[in-house]
Amino acid sequence: MIERHLAISSVVSLPKTELDALLAGLRHNGYQTVGPCLKDEGLVYAGIESLADLPRGVISEQAAGKFRLVQTGQERYFDIIPGGQSWKQFLFPPRLTLFTAQKDGRWRIAPDGEPAPRYALIGVRACELAAIEIQDRAFMREDYADPIYRARRRNLFIVAVNCLHPAGTCFCVSLGSGPRAERGYDLCLTELDDAFLVEIGSELGRSLMTELACEPASAYLQNAANQGLEQAVKQMGRHLDTSDLPQLLAGNLDAERWEQVGKRCLSCANCTLVCPTCFCWDATDHTDLLGKVTRRERVWDSFFNPAFSYFAGGNTRPAIRSRYRQWLTHKLGAWKEQYGTLGCVGCGRCITWCPAGIDLTEEIAALREEVEA
Amino acid sequence: MTPTATTHPERLLEPDWAEITAITPETEDISTFWLRFEAPAIQEHYRFQPGQFNMLYLPGYGEAAISISSDPDESRRLVGHTIRFVGNVTRAINRLKVGDLLGLRGPFSAPWPMDAIEGKDVILASGGIGLAPLRPAIYHILRHRERYGKVILVYGARTPRDLLYLNEYEEWRKADIDVQITVDHADETWSGRVGVVPMWFYHFRIDPRKTALLTCGPEIMIRFVVFEALARRIPTDYIYVSLERNMKCGQGACGHCQLGPYFICKDGLVFPFSALEPYFNVEEY
Amino acid sequence: MTTQSEILAELEKIPWFRELKAEHFQRMAAIATLRRVKAGETLFHEGDKEDYLYIVMEGRVALDMFMPHRGKVRFYTAEEMDVIGWSSVTPVVHQRTAGAIAVMDGLVVALDAEKLRQICDEDHDLGYLVMRRLANIIAGRLMVTRLQLVDMFAHPDKEGGND
Repeated sequence: MIERHLAISSVVSLPKTELDALLAGLRHNGYQTVGPCLKDEGLVYAGIESLADLPRGVISEQAAGKFRLVQTGQERYFDIIPGGQSWKQFLFPPRLTLFTAQKDGRWRIAPDGEPAPRYALIGVRACELAAIEIQDRAFMREDYADPIYRARRRNLFIVAVNCLHPAGTCFCVSLGSGPRAERGYDLCLTELDDAFLVEIGSELGRSLMTELACEPASAYLQNAANQGLEQAVKQMGRHLDTSDLPQLLAGNLDAERWEQVGKRCLSCANCTLVCPTCFCWDATDHTDLLGKVTRRERVWDSFFNPAFSYFAGGNTRPAIRSRYRQWLTHKLGAWKEQYGTLGCVGCGRCITWCPAGIDLTEEIAALREEVEA
Repeated sequence: MTPTATTHPERLLEPDWAEITAITPETEDISTFWLRFEAPAIQEHYRFQPGQFNMLYLPGYGEAAISISSDPDESRRLVGHTIRFVGNVTRAINRLKVGDLLGLRGPFSAPWPMDAIEGKDVILASGGIGLAPLRPAIYHILRHRERYGKVILVYGARTPRDLLYLNEYEEWRKADIDVQITVDHADETWSGRVGVVPMWFYHFRIDPRKTALLTCGPEIMIRFVVFEALARRIPTDYIYVSLERNMKCGQGACGHCQLGPYFICKDGLVFPFSALEPYFNVEEY
Repeated sequence: MTTQSEILAELEKIPWFRELKAEHFQRMAAIATLRRVKAGETLFHEGDKEDYLYIVMEGRVALDMFMPHRGKVRFYTAEEMDVIGWSSVTPVVHQRTAGAIAVMDGLVVALDAEKLRQICDEDHDLGYLVMRRLANIIAGRLMVTRLQLVDMFAHPDKEGGND
């Protein structure tokens, strides 16, 4: 009966148990369903079958260099702010074989017939949606598209979740990327105590919802969701002043602050690995002992790695200060010129997962202070 | 971006195979490898412009970005790569023989602006292996000599033994290219110049309004060449610099070769100095 | 032998001489001689007494230093309008710090260094012009020396690098 009323942008309420049916429906449509799970006292994104796999009643306490799971006694599934992993691992795998070259007299490329996997991402935050959008611009430019990313991206189904409990390192509001998921999803959940509020974002999302026991969303529920989101805006743990950031950074490449942060930074590359928008990669060869079969592999790379900028003329950025400066001037500066947007979504991962507790919002504030002084 | 003859849009980093047809030793640690695609159809359609580079792939070792050093008008037959053996890949390439295969992707990068500098006096200032990416520009000038005014090649190397393409200078001079050679150090048997490339600007009478400079070489040489050019008021839009960085993809995708907003592999390698000026004297940027 | 008019004709070709007042030009001309050199001819040896400041008018003159086991190492060549032997004007050790040899037939103007010092001492206006010129020459020579010193064509790390 409800079927004919459902349309893209419809808002319905869904009993929580029905999420299992949604996951089943996605799998039936050939999707691998992946979502947040607890593992080794952390939160990872991995295969999930049902609600039982989700981290119920848990939140994460996050601060510079700190991530702790805390039991809340609540019944909700999506209160927890994610850990070090981001969804980019599914579109831009950390390690991937590109092709295999075989020498049988002469070198030949062995065809790699694996079709791109079909992932349904469950529980994508607004900041993470924004990150996917940013990576789309980097990997699918007008003049060049990364074939691996594009194939996986085309196959993607996204169940977003509105963020009601930001963590201490969150600042999506500063970047305009959250906490509400505005676009780029197939379905968007807002988790209330008794039900999910579901906004329909695509035709496939709509047709899946028609199979579920959903009801029109009451004004009360919608109001509760809006209030939760308004509350979340006020709970941001961090703030980043984004005004004139590219100019600020490009104009102060010789600031003293780079020296100071360069002394704290360990150049461990954690920030670039946890960052949901960082896209740098390297390619390496792995050869059998006879030297007749070589697997060419793509791996994530980072300009914090000493070899990253090494070429025949030497290392372009031997000093850690220069590498940190590259990270920030790219992410919050040059990125804008390259892709029309900053490379930061305010997810706070780089702050939480920095072993030295370096906080980019603090670095920018300090740089502003130095420049104004 | 220039259409890439041998990149497969659906297969990331997958090369086409090319056979080494000849190896020309140039110096102790530099040789020119002449390549021809295994597939004649690819060779037939392969084109490049002066200043572009290819990614050469040796399985088991990896890829190296190598400037194309041969005549663009001969690209249908052969493509020459002048290679200095300094890294894992290039040292392994040095052990290859005629008949062996290399993977090739390319060509990549913005070329030298051969059209935009027509009608100008042209100074080509290069050092070391930096002459390799300029040689296709020289061949282009030789074929279209009437389109350019005075043409001066200033070329420097460490010692006389390190000079590239020695046996071609006479031919270039015959075509009215003023070839000025200088070396850093020499012994008594060398009657040529000793000094560095930037100092030869002291000797030229330049009309900055009609002069274009193309320069390629060690970054420190480029820096001083640019200083001299700026001192002589060559407009920054007519000072063209070819830069080098670690490059993995050639398509502005892998992130390695960034300089400010640029991906050097796709936005360069050749830049007008006006585009580089904000970053040029920033250490380690 | 060269005549005074030949000397004047050569000096007038030198850009910075053309900027001199007539009176200064005359004083400089009075201490100048012309010297034709043949390829292979030594202008001065390392260790010689410093006696002349040379301006190369034609040809090419190489500066070198003798190094045990390596022989003469050539580190600079001077051509048209270039100045060599600048240290003779501001002597510290009163000895040539490098040797100079013509690598092709040429012509040089030789300015008597002692007299040049004398006229610079007597007339500080002229002295200032000469010293400023020498400062430019030294700066240029330093730039060349630095670029040679950093050995810009050497590979920074023979073992490193993936390419």
